[in-house]
Amino acid sequence: MQSHGIPRVAATTLDKSEQARNKERKQITQYQALEKDVVDRAELDAQVKAKDYSDATFRLTSQLLTQNPEYYTIWNYRRLILQHVFARELAADEAPSEQDAAAADKAGLPPAQHEVLLLIKEDLQFLIPLLKQYPKCYWIWNHRSWLLGTATKHLPAHSAVTLWHAELGLVSKMLGLDSRNFHGWGYRREVVLAIERLSSNGDGEKESGSGNMVESEFAYTTKMIQSNLSNFSAWHYRSQLIPRLLSSRNADTKTRQEFLDAEFELITRALYTDPYDQSLWFYHQYLMATLSPANKQAEPVLEPCGRAEQARYLEREIGSVREMLEGAEDCKYIYQALLEYSGRYLEVEAEGEKVTLEEMRGWLRELRGIDPLREGRWRDLERKMGL
Amino acid sequence: MDSLDNTSWDVIITGTGLPQSLLALSLSRSGKQILHIDRNDYYGGDEAALALSEAEQWVKKHGGDASENADSAYSHATISLSDAQEEGAKKLGFSRAYSLALAPHLVYARSNLLPAVVSSRTHSQLEFQAIGSWFTVTAPLDGLPSWSRLTRVPSGREDVFRDDSLDLRSKRSLMKFLRFVASYDEESEQQRMVELKGLPLSVALKQHFGLKSAAAVGPLLALALPTVSEIETTMEFAVPRIARHLRSIGMFGPGFSAVLPKWGGLAEIAQVACRACAVGGGVYVLGQGIKNAIRAEDAEDSKLRLELTGGEEVTARWLVGCPRDLPATISKPIPNQADPAEDIMKSISIVSSPLTSLFPPTAEGGVIPAGAVVWVEVAGSSSPSVRILVHSSESGECPAGQCVLYASLRGDPSYLDTAVQNLLESMGEQPKPEVLWQMQYQHHAEAEQPQNTTSSGHVFTLQPLSTGIVLEDDVLKDVEEAWRKIMGNGAEGFMKFESREGVDEDE
Repeated sequence: MQSHGIPRVAATTLDKSEQARNKERKQITQYQALEKDVVDRAELDAQVKAKDYSDATFRLTSQLLTQNPEYYTIWNYRRLILQHVFARELAADEAPSEQDAAAADKAGLPPAQHEVLLLIKEDLQFLIPLLKQYPKCYWIWNHRSWLLGTATKHLPAHSAVTLWHAELGLVSKMLGLDSRNFHGWGYRREVVLAIERLSSNGDGEKESGSGNMVESEFAYTTKMIQSNLSNFSAWHYRSQLIPRLLSSRNADTKTRQEFLDAEFELITRALYTDPYDQSLWFYHQYLMATLSPANKQAEPVLEPCGRAEQARYLEREIGSVREMLEGAEDCKYIYQALLEYSGRYLEVEAEGEKVTLEEMRGWLRELRGIDPLREGRWRDLERKMGL
Repeated sequence: MDSLDNTSWDVIITGTGLPQSLLALSLSRSGKQILHIDRNDYYGGDEAALALSEAEQWVKKHGGDASENADSAYSHATISLSDAQEEGAKKLGFSRAYSLALAPHLVYARSNLLPAVVSSRTHSQLEFQAIGSWFTVTAPLDGLPSWSRLTRVPSGREDVFRDDSLDLRSKRSLMKFLRFVASYDEESEQQRMVELKGLPLSVALKQHFGLKSAAAVGPLLALALPTVSEIETTMEFAVPRIARHLRSIGMFGPGFSAVLPKWGGLAEIAQVACRACAVGGGVYVLGQGIKNAIRAEDAEDSKLRLELTGGEEVTARWLVGCPRDLPATISKPIPNQADPAEDIMKSISIVSSPLTSLFPPTAEGGVIPAGAVVWVEVAGSSSPSVRILVHSSESGECPAGQCVLYASLRGDPSYLDTAVQNLLESMGEQPKPEVLWQMQYQHHAEAEQPQNTTSSGHVFTLQPLSTGIVLEDDVLKDVEEAWRKIMGNGAEGFMKFESREGVDEDE
């Protein structure tokens, strides 16, 4: 049942003894590989020291890395070899073969650069199965990044940008498999940046140019959130995109307010569905933070954004979060949010009808009851807020 | 083939329905001499999958009422064809393009059958496909144009988040209920469950979970699939079933909770199981049943002496079958018939459209399902609803461009057609999809069988499948009990086999 698209019955349902035996088998293979590794590694060390950047050495790195991609030194060796090969190709003064010349012509590149492109593509291919098996290995993502960087350095924009677009496809697929892989999200930002830079043709008109990906990336975060609410990375990325999104849309005061209101509506809907999900509260906090001029981390969304706006939104959100308590009286995040926003509110407006110290003391009491492990923290909070 | 007359066997299994076939599979490596017979001329027994012409024959055979079909679980079978088609209109494919399941079942990802299929090395011969989405069809409201509304059932947090028909409070309450259901059998919730269990689901939702909207009840009922009306469905019934659904989601892939076996459902599993037993040396004979037990036990060799319907006499150490396949002289006569009110009305409809909107992908980049479940209200909340399993042509049960609808109801059989029509109408497709062919029949519930007790106890009665549409774990447990009786109490390795040499390994 290897066919694509049909659910596999096998993996999760083997009985224990079979599983135990397989595990043992894997451990034995790994140990044997490690042993072999040591022997090969010694050989490799010697070759690299001797500046033996031959194909044989290269193949040795492939072998070692396939068994153990966490061995970052070997990645360094590989890059030394590749660097050497690229330099040699680019400096080459011998005429290319007819075949090579024709292929290069077709790709719209001078033969030397075409050769470099092919080598880079080959190495990217080499990485794919490794990435699938070890999606959280820093060094694999790093090497990919290096390859793409090298391509950008040596090749004309139109070739490099094609490679970067392919990377976008790859990272979308990886995030489809594991939407919370932060390597994937970080890499995605890098890819988007590179594509935008290469597509802007250096004219500095990034925001309105055709290379501007902020709208599509914003839509991507919406899609990822809808398929899994608990996605810290997606919410974070969204928050990073907002300032640029608004400036790219040339949003005026009214548009900005509508936008902020829509984001609050979205996160409130999510919080009603699951107030126990911390990633949602982080995003709510971010939105609230944009109202604070003192907060350097969060660029303001509203324009202008002064005391009046701050007070108004704080009031509204405190009211909204207060309502969330109904049916979720055991949710500590709600009390934490209430205390935080109330504290901020009292800095902006005097204590009054909207929120009282008595109420805040009540919330703190609840918090202590729900989360006694963090008593120290709550005591600290109590002192800081003067309750 | 040599005559069966005067042959001697370790085990004779009668009937090739799913329970009997699973037993045959479990014994396939035991080295025992097994004779497996079926009085029909096809495999699968009550769970058989039939081509069109076979279905027509089957309907003829089961056309009468219950008394005329005393040895069958089915009766009152009829067929209706659509009126003569215009030129170029959709029409039926050829007979063998169809594999209609008499007893279609959902197999939940958590079902105990699936690990057994893997450990018995039969999974490489079977293809399981996803049953993706669940829907409800609500009856047209008075005063509004008669469009039934098709709504997708939210099956988890993200579904609830996205569902626009639920306001914030309802989202919160529904999530609260789903969270309770997900841990209803844990210590923390046991007390609460005890308090709530006798309440109707709809009442408990309103009073204890703050779910005021009546529209939210339907989807939850759909997940529980009761045969009774809304008001009769208790928490005790509904909660474990909804939990089963929730706990099965994502086990084999994101976004779905259950699978269906391709090419005819349980019949396919039965066939593969019988094949495995045949490979292990079992002998298969169709068109034969047990007519009589000549002598219950022979004092000398303590074997059963049986007469087959063809007149042959055979002996066996063990006889296993479902009650209807065992002659009355062996199995205790059923003291009281099951309540006819428990009978289920069923229909199989072939529809002229692929009904694509019932089969959205299970998740971003996920599989395209081959099955969907639709819960159709027909006569208000005090009447049971109709359950419809929809199988696309990907299930192998019909040609491309068509679907098979399996409807079942405990109640008035005329509602089955109403439900099918409501569903087709609610799809909003122009022109409205048509029913090209339909058969209707009744499935009789089996009374609880007391475990057979002949003087030596060498006859084992397997429980037939229930009239329901979900494959329950009891089926395999019953088979295991029979297996243990035959193999001896110390036996180990039920359904656990090594792969045969030369057979392709999955991994």
